[in-house]
Amino acid sequence: MKFGIFYEISVPRPWGPTTEYEVYQNCIEQVKLADELGFDQVWAVEHHFLEEYSHCSAPEVFLTACAMVTKKIRIGRGIVVCVPQFNSPIKAAEVAATMDILSGGRLEFGTGRSATWTELGGFGADPDETKKTWDEWTRIIPKMWTQERFGYEGRAFSMPKRAVLPKPYQKPHPPMWVAVTSPGTELDAADRGMGSLGLTFGGFQEQEKKIAEYRRRIKYCDPVGEFVNEQVNTVNFLFCHEDNEYGGRTGQRLAGTFNYLAEQLLAARQAYPTRSYPNLGLLPALRREATSGPEGTIPEGLAIGNPDRIVDVIKKWEAVGVDRINFLLNAIETVPQQEVLDSMRLFAKEVMPKFAAKPEPASVSAAGGA
Amino acid sequence: MPLVGSRNLATLAESAPAIADLHVDRWEFPKAQILTVMYELDDDAMLSLLPPALHPTIPPTLAFTVTRVPESPVGPFVLAEVRVGCRSGARPRGFSARGYCDSDEAIRALGERWGYPLRKAAVTLEKRYDRIHSMVEATGVVLDVSLMNPEPVSGNDLQYLSSLNIARVPRDGGHAMRLVQVDPDFTFHSADRGQPQLNAFDAAAWELEGARPYFPVSASYAVADITMPELRYLVDPDKPPLESVERL
Repeated sequence: MKFGIFYEISVPRPWGPTTEYEVYQNCIEQVKLADELGFDQVWAVEHHFLEEYSHCSAPEVFLTACAMVTKKIRIGRGIVVCVPQFNSPIKAAEVAATMDILSGGRLEFGTGRSATWTELGGFGADPDETKKTWDEWTRIIPKMWTQERFGYEGRAFSMPKRAVLPKPYQKPHPPMWVAVTSPGTELDAADRGMGSLGLTFGGFQEQEKKIAEYRRRIKYCDPVGEFVNEQVNTVNFLFCHEDNEYGGRTGQRLAGTFNYLAEQLLAARQAYPTRSYPNLGLLPALRREATSGPEGTIPEGLAIGNPDRIVDVIKKWEAVGVDRINFLLNAIETVPQQEVLDSMRLFAKEVMPKFAAKPEPASVSAAGGA
Repeated sequence: MPLVGSRNLATLAESAPAIADLHVDRWEFPKAQILTVMYELDDDAMLSLLPPALHPTIPPTLAFTVTRVPESPVGPFVLAEVRVGCRSGARPRGFSARGYCDSDEAIRALGERWGYPLRKAAVTLEKRYDRIHSMVEATGVVLDVSLMNPEPVSGNDLQYLSSLNIARVPRDGGHAMRLVQVDPDFTFHSADRGQPQLNAFDAAAWELEGARPYFPVSASYAVADITMPELRYLVDPDKPPLESVERL
């Protein structure tokens, strides 16, 4: 089991002249500490226009800054929006390779397609097209990295032969992931030999089924990259405190605040009738499920409370097949920075040692990936 | 925390319908035709259209919905609504301050039972092969809206907002202004989508002064059986979002 941290970079109103600066500085301080404490990875989203919820529209810049002040922690671009109005696939490949070089081979490359009308409408993207362009891009980006010169004639993208430079530091290329929010996307990940970057917070039972099916399907995959990245990464909230009641209460406040902000977004589904975004605001539904335990109890799957409780929770996640957990540490600065840092330290001291390193999946280590 | 509305709804009190009894039974509207067109709103009015109990969506939106009900306990009618997209706490909703209907019987029944704030108007809904068109004529044309170039989709691809209608309800021995949540069930027979086209919209006629829909988002048309619900929730418009919802 590996542990990481995960950033939406939510910024509370009112927005003073230094509010965003302060939130970014807090995040950088957390990342530096995470590196020192032995967290394995830091991920940052790409979101646009999502007021308060996420002010992280240039994660490649944030993550490069993280790489420059850390030594070991891996850098997760989570995710590149594979929609032409948002990004060019050439530029995505170039930026990722540059990040990989600057970080000394620490890049994890996440892919996705955006799920809100706020973003898709803002960029003038067609919701019907996003799954198709994502599919096309995930197949060509690894070739841009590995072929000396790359040329392509496709449906939504074409280019004459050019050397896409630089090439990634990791050979053959960084591990590739898919953000999984819509039902069935974990199977898309499996079929393409990509890691499942879970961005929802479903409980054990629901995740166990999905992971089992992912493991079954990936055995027969046709990998888009040069190697299979069979890994399941999930997202959780973290607030660790000696006092279980205080830890649970603070953690639930954090989770509740995050969920409340998430529900304010205008999902693609809510604005535009399309089969491309399956039924009914899945994100809010799953988040609700994960954060609504019986009255007076902490929801089963959340890593909040005292170290003993969090160890129990993570053991259950391990048992259902999760390889990595990324933690959200804060939401609109609901938890004071010092308490976030203390929570990370306590987690590293009391919880991390209980989880001995598991060997890497053969397919990754054999290929020289992460 | 998210933005909240700033509107005082007291000016609407006089014209809001009164619900005498909050225990209403369900009604069925078989094979209703439903045209829905969504536009983004200019953000000038994103807070001034909504009361403090509601968060605006980001971006702010307006949903135009015209429903032809061929069969109901009060006979056939055509209902036109314009709802401001919002969140009641964390739930997606559409706030309605004024609607129009072509039937006196339906205006009375929908107001008394589900708090629809309706006035009489000529409301048309016309399905052609190249478009589905609706027009509402009250004091002149107050709405002219179309779905262009319909193409079939699945009813499962559509998602309708639950309404919050402004009404007076029995509370504390008298009547108080509340937003009445109306969340019908839909069983779809067919569905289409197409390009939205807004030809005319008189914001003041819908009690939405300052609303300027400017960016087309989507348009859908469906034939569905509608089950009008029992009332389950009220929202006190003047309270903060997390304190405003009352479960019945």
